[in-house]
Amino acid sequence: MDIFLNVLGVVFLWLAVEYCLRHQTAESLDDASMVPFADDPEVARRVELATGKPVKAVAPEEAKPGWINLDM
Amino acid sequence: MFLAVFLQCSSCQTRVAWQDFATVEELTMSTATIGQAYNYKVVRQFVIATVFWGVVGMAMGVWIASQLVWPDMNLDLPWTTFGRLRPLHTSLVIFGFAGSAQFAASYYAVQRTCQVRLYSDKLAAFTFWGWQSVIVIMLITLPLGYTTTKEYAEIEFSGAVWMAVVWVAYAIVFFTTVVQRKTKHIYVGNWFFGAFILVIAMLHVVNHLSIPVDWFKSYPVYSGATDAMVQWWYGHNAVGFFLTTGFLGMMYYFVPKQVNRPVYSYRLSIVHFWALITLYIWAGPHHLHYTALPDWAQSLGMAMSLILLAPSWGGMINGMMTLSGAWHKLRTDPILRFLVLSLAFYGMSTFEGPMMAIKTVNALSHYTDWTIGHVHAGALGWVAMITFGATYHMVPKVFGREQMYSTPLINLHFWLATIGTVLYIASMWVNGITQGLMWRAVNEDGTLTYSFVEALQASHPGFIVRFAGGVFFLSGMLLMAYNVWRTVRVADVALARSQAQIA
Repeated sequence: MDIFLNVLGVVFLWLAVEYCLRHQTAESLDDASMVPFADDPEVARRVELATGKPVKAVAPEEAKPGWINLDM
Repeated sequence: MFLAVFLQCSSCQTRVAWQDFATVEELTMSTATIGQAYNYKVVRQFVIATVFWGVVGMAMGVWIASQLVWPDMNLDLPWTTFGRLRPLHTSLVIFGFAGSAQFAASYYAVQRTCQVRLYSDKLAAFTFWGWQSVIVIMLITLPLGYTTTKEYAEIEFSGAVWMAVVWVAYAIVFFTTVVQRKTKHIYVGNWFFGAFILVIAMLHVVNHLSIPVDWFKSYPVYSGATDAMVQWWYGHNAVGFFLTTGFLGMMYYFVPKQVNRPVYSYRLSIVHFWALITLYIWAGPHHLHYTALPDWAQSLGMAMSLILLAPSWGGMINGMMTLSGAWHKLRTDPILRFLVLSLAFYGMSTFEGPMMAIKTVNALSHYTDWTIGHVHAGALGWVAMITFGATYHMVPKVFGREQMYSTPLINLHFWLATIGTVLYIASMWVNGITQGLMWRAVNEDGTLTYSFVEALQASHPGFIVRFAGGVFFLSGMLLMAYNVWRTVRVADVALARSQAQIA
């Protein structure tokens, strides 16, 4: 029983990782790792200088008042 | 209310006009959040709650540690006995301190990595006040003796239902924010936060399934070994998901941000995520070795616990190696030191855990203070340390300051926390092994060599050292509260707004 469940766990893990990485390239994974710096152009410049990798940084858009952001 | 003073800015030494400063009340209670890219108000509220419940919960821990040294510290009152205050301590530090920290960190990180404001300011505010009311329910009911008796799930029926409602609101806010993201990719830190939210919801509901007889008394739908298995499936994964997975989400955001380097291997972070999720949920039976639980379930729990070492260390190494080329920053940055030390303790406790799950080791360690020491290696060394690092990182940003009020105080906090943790763990190792060996010692005629009281007397020096370690740790927490207070009481509204816009 426990061997069956262990094998099932390994198969699930392998399938999940393969599925998540199916369209990823080295470049796209590099881009993904830069996401924490991508909303701050100033910090992004420092990271680019330190790593030599480009960071596509943009300041976020300003939120518009709407039904989900009503002033309370 | 604005502070009508000119203040000397501690970081830039420039004079700033009084209109730019606001009180803590304004920044945590202010509703003027429209027009900003991010909702930092709810983050500020949860940050303050983290510090508040940290002080209260850890003080409760020191108090009950003192009761084990000096039994008179129970004050001869039913409400202040160890049996009632111990679950209150665990509930306050797990749900009050660690829970608030994860709300704050997840709300902060999800907005910034998705580049979008939190979905619904009102629902986010509901999660804050709702969660605080859950902690207050625990604070009142547990000393009164209302308890399910299930470890880490002591809150009785009506409180548990309310907790589930708040949690569902949290899930709606978090996942809708992810859905509305401006970025193409969902950053891996959000995967960990998402798994933490989903799995905790499942664990909480299944473990609390019970038949209520009144508002604060219920009976579980399970019985016997099944009840024990469900409880420890919950109990172990409360550690695995409430105290690990969410904090790994924190690690994957705050370590790269503090060190200004991307995570060492993004591919490894994905393998880490799936391996952790796959394995953790199976490890619960190691809490029930040598009990009425079927032997195959015990062996399965042991095997899964041993394999769990691989993803745990994979994540730890991924976090540590993020500092590649930037190790020198540890010399000058105490916030980074907190984050890295937390990873070191994470590695240590995730090595110790699988070892203790081996049945022959467990035969010695179970029911002894070794288990308490192991839990605190994770709770103090990993959970609290990474929370301190993340909080010191967030506070200046969400309250609009260049930096914390005092960097030397952060450094002092670091050393107090480290010394406190080491004293706690070392004393519990010594006590645990002493107790385990004394309990199993038998004479030639088969009788026990030592009585239980003799083992308890031998543990007394360890209890004193554990109490001292707790005092060190609590002192550090109080320093943090002071440092945060001095930082936020003169928070710069203009800078906070600009941080919420771009930072």
